[in-house]
Amino acid sequence: MMSLGSYLIISLILFVIGLVVMLSRKNIVAILLGIELILNAAALNFVAYSRYVTNNLDGHIFSLFIIVVAAAEAAVGLAIVIRFFQIKETIHIDEATQLRN
Amino acid sequence: MFIQLLFASSATLTVGCALGVLATKNLMHSCIFLLGSLMGVAGLFATLGADFVAVTQIMVYMGGVVILMLFAVMLTGGKDFISRAQNLLGLPSSMGNKWTYSVGGLVGLVLLLTNIRLISNVMNSHAPKVIGDEYPSTVSQIGHLLVKDHVLAFEISSVLLLGALVGAAIIARPRKQK
Repeated sequence: MMSLGSYLIISLILFVIGLVVMLSRKNIVAILLGIELILNAAALNFVAYSRYVTNNLDGHIFSLFIIVVAAAEAAVGLAIVIRFFQIKETIHIDEATQLRN
Repeated sequence: MFIQLLFASSATLTVGCALGVLATKNLMHSCIFLLGSLMGVAGLFATLGADFVAVTQIMVYMGGVVILMLFAVMLTGGKDFISRAQNLLGLPSSMGNKWTYSVGGLVGLVLLLTNIRLISNVMNSHAPKVIGDEYPSTVSQIGHLLVKDHVLAFEISSVLLLGALVGAAIIARPRKQK
């Protein structure tokens, strides 16, 4: 039951769900939730390949850097969301049209 | 046996809670489902022998990022939560409409089929390697790797975190109303 393929399938399901969340939700915070799911799928793939294929710890290091980058991304993204809410009084993605023209 | 049980429960938790993130209407419930999904991924890391990554996932993601997102949800409720305007599909406006769902479903389906093809190639070409049940601690090795082989990335990530936190504080600071 526990093999490389099962981890890859779980990670694929996680990635597809994150992508569908990102594409179909209209709330900016929900889009950030989808991005977190996609980053987790990538980190799970790195660790699975690191155990079953390469047998060293480079995948673990890469997952740690993915977690660091996700924390930085969440901080900046949520700051932008809060600033957007202060300006527009909503966080609906269709209201973000200030850069259109 | 315990590892198999942990794998099965973690996989179920991961996939089920990710579906909950997709399906639930309330954004707060969506954040709580994300918490469960991250917990499942941490359990999967533990079954892969990545103890340090699993604990870091729990501390940074579940203790930091999701709490930050919960605060953002609570600070930006606004009129989306009050009016609860419904569109044609009967969903609240923060959930998207039928066009976004059909586009998202189509892209997800194409990605799923192509990736299943790729994964089946991987599974057929690699004979399943028998991995023993030993799970040595990885903490000291990761520490040595971080300050020897990957020290440049380590320092760059510290600068990145500093820049991100200062930038977030500058972006979100309250400004005087004109």
